[in-house]
Amino acid sequence: MLIEGKFTMKAPIKEVWNFLLEPGTLASCIPGAEKMEAVDDKTWEGVVKQKVGPISVKLNFTQSLTEVDPPKHIKAVGRGAAVGGAGTFTQETIVDLKEIAKGEVEVAYSSKVSMVGRLATFGERIMRAKVNKVGEEFTNNLREKMKSRVGG
Amino acid sequence: MIKDFEHFAPKTLKEALTLLDKYQDEAKVICGGQSLLILMRQGLVAPEYVIDIKSISELSYIKTDGKGGLKIGALTTHRTIEKSSQMRDGFAVLAEMETRLASIQTRNWGTIGGNLCHGDPAGDPAPVLIALNATLKMASLKGERSLPAEDFTLDYFETALKTGELLTEIIVPAPPAHTGTAYTKFNIIESDLATVGVAASITLGAGDSCQDIRIALGAAAATPMRAKKAEAVLKGKKITDALLAQAGETASTEADPISDMQASEEYRRELVKVLVPRISKEAIARAKKA
Amino acid sequence: MKKELKLKVNGQPYDIFVKPKTLLVEALRDHLALTGTKRGCNSSSCGACTIMLNGMAVKSCSILALQANGAEIVTIEGLAKGTELSPLQKAFLDHGSYQCGFCTAGMLMATTALLTENPKPTKQEIKEGIDGNICRCTGYNSIIRAVTAVVKGEYKEAK
Repeated sequence: MLIEGKFTMKAPIKEVWNFLLEPGTLASCIPGAEKMEAVDDKTWEGVVKQKVGPISVKLNFTQSLTEVDPPKHIKAVGRGAAVGGAGTFTQETIVDLKEIAKGEVEVAYSSKVSMVGRLATFGERIMRAKVNKVGEEFTNNLREKMKSRVGG
Repeated sequence: MIKDFEHFAPKTLKEALTLLDKYQDEAKVICGGQSLLILMRQGLVAPEYVIDIKSISELSYIKTDGKGGLKIGALTTHRTIEKSSQMRDGFAVLAEMETRLASIQTRNWGTIGGNLCHGDPAGDPAPVLIALNATLKMASLKGERSLPAEDFTLDYFETALKTGELLTEIIVPAPPAHTGTAYTKFNIIESDLATVGVAASITLGAGDSCQDIRIALGAAAATPMRAKKAEAVLKGKKITDALLAQAGETASTEADPISDMQASEEYRRELVKVLVPRISKEAIARAKKA
Repeated sequence: MKKELKLKVNGQPYDIFVKPKTLLVEALRDHLALTGTKRGCNSSSCGACTIMLNGMAVKSCSILALQANGAEIVTIEGLAKGTELSPLQKAFLDHGSYQCGFCTAGMLMATTALLTENPKPTKQEIKEGIDGNICRCTGYNSIIRAVTAVVKGEYKEAK
């Protein structure tokens, strides 16, 4: 599954970059994210809770920054498992920053999520449907968080 | 593996509603279980309390409403509807829809109410009931309320049923004169859920023009949806092949399907584009005979 | 917390206690030792678990056992009369309507239910009758031929 989004931020690119690099920023914007804990300055662990109709999932996950190219490019790689053994997933997120005007930054992200297990087989239709919603929410969360931290 | 749960088997609607009121969101209602058990077996849904309403016989019936319409109890099995002599003329489309729903074994035990409450946009009954302008009745300890079928499903697998409510009845009004309704679905294996489902109900007016039209799509959005823009293309006009094709195009852009293991979004849109004119034509042919 | 389940299977009354989460196929196989009914897919797709409940073909893996309280069930073990096989069973043997045999119990139950409801089905109706049963071996035609032969009256019911 591919979750993509793009938005602009009125802030200096360096500030946006620093904010993104803060441990747990990306992870905390994931819809349903609870409990974020930094393991070291590149890795964090957390729990995500989501619900679609009758199915509720609780996912334990770990995410690490693997590529850091200031101030333009971040790649984060993560893996996780659904509590109860209903499935496991791997995830790769890329965030690119582009200065489109003085003090205006375009934030573009692309997240590839791969899921296996019972949740993927039986929940596939249900999960896929949720993906679009999750993408929108993630974009909003990231934008709102940035706004409150680095400006408009 | 199914997790242990406490099981209640109320015999009356009142008993069931009392239990629902007591356990609120901690309980899950099971009837035929033909959709729910699939999820429970995989551990994806694991309620602590299960309210088993399968033996509430007072909710299984097919009655006339005295005005040429039908009242179908929510616990009526698909097979009962499929084989009912009351599913003739304007209601024949309901029996036709049921013959394509899953397999005989599933239809023998699964209920139309259970199907609607599961809220699967790919389900067969919902588009047909929307095309037939059906109303759904719900009850709780506080009383009853009704909703048009098209307002019942809110999102993927989410319905307008509030905590403590049970779907009790489906009311299908008598179709107006010169109305024909038809349904089809595209699937790869017979007895599969719809890759895309289309139901259309057309009322013919003077000069065989389209006086009224309702087009409902299944598996083409987050919920069963009415293709209102497509309807607007045809409503009030004399129907031609070109106009039908245009309605199909409009419906395919109006729809909001997802890509999944069965088909891509593009393929689903293409199916809508082709099936809307095809089923509309069938509905018109039936309207001419009605 | 187990609950009481009273049911009749192949004419024999049973009174057992099962956990509510028990599926009907589990009650039949594990509690009543009637292992003729098979559990093939665990996804309600294959029909190998088909039995007759109050005269209707149902997938026993997709029904809570407690929902069969008070019901009359016929499983594959109940088709023969003593040592005399049912007409469908004989026809299946004669027409080679099985290879690995895993779907066979379900196929026989589905076709028995079909002919109970409709003694003279058309070929299309026979196909619809086994629509809920998957066979990986035969390609279905030998099954359809067997049912057709019974419909034609080539096999007599045992007395």
